[in-house]
Amino acid sequence: MSVATNEKTWEPVIVAFCCNWCSYAGGDLAGTSRMSYAPNVRVIRVPCSSRVSPNFILRAFQQGADGVIVAGCHPGDCHYISGNYYTRRRLMVLRSLLQYMGIEPERFQAYWISASEGQRFSLVMDKVTEDIRALGPNRKLRDAR
Amino acid sequence: MKPLTEKIRRVAAEALAQKDIELVIGWQKGDFWWQSPPLFIDNTDAIEKLIWDPLCVANLSKYLLEELKSKKKVALFVKGCDSLAINRLLQDKRIERDRVVLYGLPCNGMVDRDKIEMKNTGNIDRVEWDGNELVMVGEEEHRQLLENCLYDKCYSCRYPNPVLFDQLLDEEVTQRDTARDRFKRVEELEKLTYDERFTHWSHHFDRCIRCFACRNVCPACNCKDCLFEQAEPRWLGKATEPSENQFYHIIRAYHVAGRCIDCGECQRVCPMDIPLQDINRKIIKEINELFGEYDAGIDPNEPAPLITYQTDDPVGFPES
Repeated sequence: MSVATNEKTWEPVIVAFCCNWCSYAGGDLAGTSRMSYAPNVRVIRVPCSSRVSPNFILRAFQQGADGVIVAGCHPGDCHYISGNYYTRRRLMVLRSLLQYMGIEPERFQAYWISASEGQRFSLVMDKVTEDIRALGPNRKLRDAR
Repeated sequence: MKPLTEKIRRVAAEALAQKDIELVIGWQKGDFWWQSPPLFIDNTDAIEKLIWDPLCVANLSKYLLEELKSKKKVALFVKGCDSLAINRLLQDKRIERDRVVLYGLPCNGMVDRDKIEMKNTGNIDRVEWDGNELVMVGEEEHRQLLENCLYDKCYSCRYPNPVLFDQLLDEEVTQRDTARDRFKRVEELEKLTYDERFTHWSHHFDRCIRCFACRNVCPACNCKDCLFEQAEPRWLGKATEPSENQFYHIIRAYHVAGRCIDCGECQRVCPMDIPLQDINRKIIKEINELFGEYDAGIDPNEPAPLITYQTDDPVGFPES
């Protein structure tokens, strides 16, 4: 991913890991309902939010993401019954670790978006994009090559 | 402490006389007097090499992974922190309890050779404890207060006595008062701004030579195939690049989240003096605050916090 970090032309690059059963379907609903959301978001479909390994998140930052979103089913609604409960614990720890390492909390956010929440999907994507736009380009954890 | 060395040798000889025990792991005197590397004995001839001195800091438990592949039963000596490591391996189902014989050694802290006054000591033959003093015996005798020359990790040691053993070889010792302050440094770092924290850690991580000593010594890093050596996908590149170092250190710490026994071996073996324990402790502190107090390496039957969940866990993401 080539990224322009020139202040004038810079646009936030956001990677969103969306679970197949809820958040991705929520994104679909946003699309079929003709709701617009920020084009800065690149959606990656994963089978479950607990599929998202910390490696994915760090790699995204390394390769040029300014922000990462992990979106999954609401707790209790997981297609695999308990996947997102594990996600919740893991990501909470990962997030405080990243903050401890100096990554602003806005750069890595997690949301629960169900398949019927097309509007929420578009609102969340817009909100995160605005958060990141306010922070500016991310240079931490970035591969300098 | 000389009588204890004798006791260790006697115990090792008795162990080797048993039918099933094929190997005893202990410590010996190294090429230099400030080294006490591991010793592997499979016959009684080498028993006289066994020692117990203030420099026996190396954790012997991880050698079990390799040795138990071919040996029926292995006996080894464990300090407090080493016994936590045994529990770690048991909990991860990497070793079987009935194939290990443990001799517990209560420990008041091990001596960091970097803190020993080395000027004009000349040749030293042996290092001993004497009350609250460290004695180095050579052509002359040199003494130093023990409290000034222990490893940093030993000042905050919470388990000076082994929590798991078959036989305890010495009298139990008491925990230091300083053990309660183990999160002090983490709290200091938490006060910094995000940019200051990043600068702080970059300053440390940039020195990393990726020798993987911290991973190799860690009893929680016991995967047969390590992700950092995986070729496909290749998570960790080979280039000397700051972001690769940051990736390595964040993932290493995260992989032991909830399983780290806080033994501090990672930081001790680091040739570049990266304060790795500060990262592990941050995770321990965070897990304690979020999911309740948890002490890894105490009860091998209790599930580690990140492989379990409660439906009423805190949400943790204010925005969601």
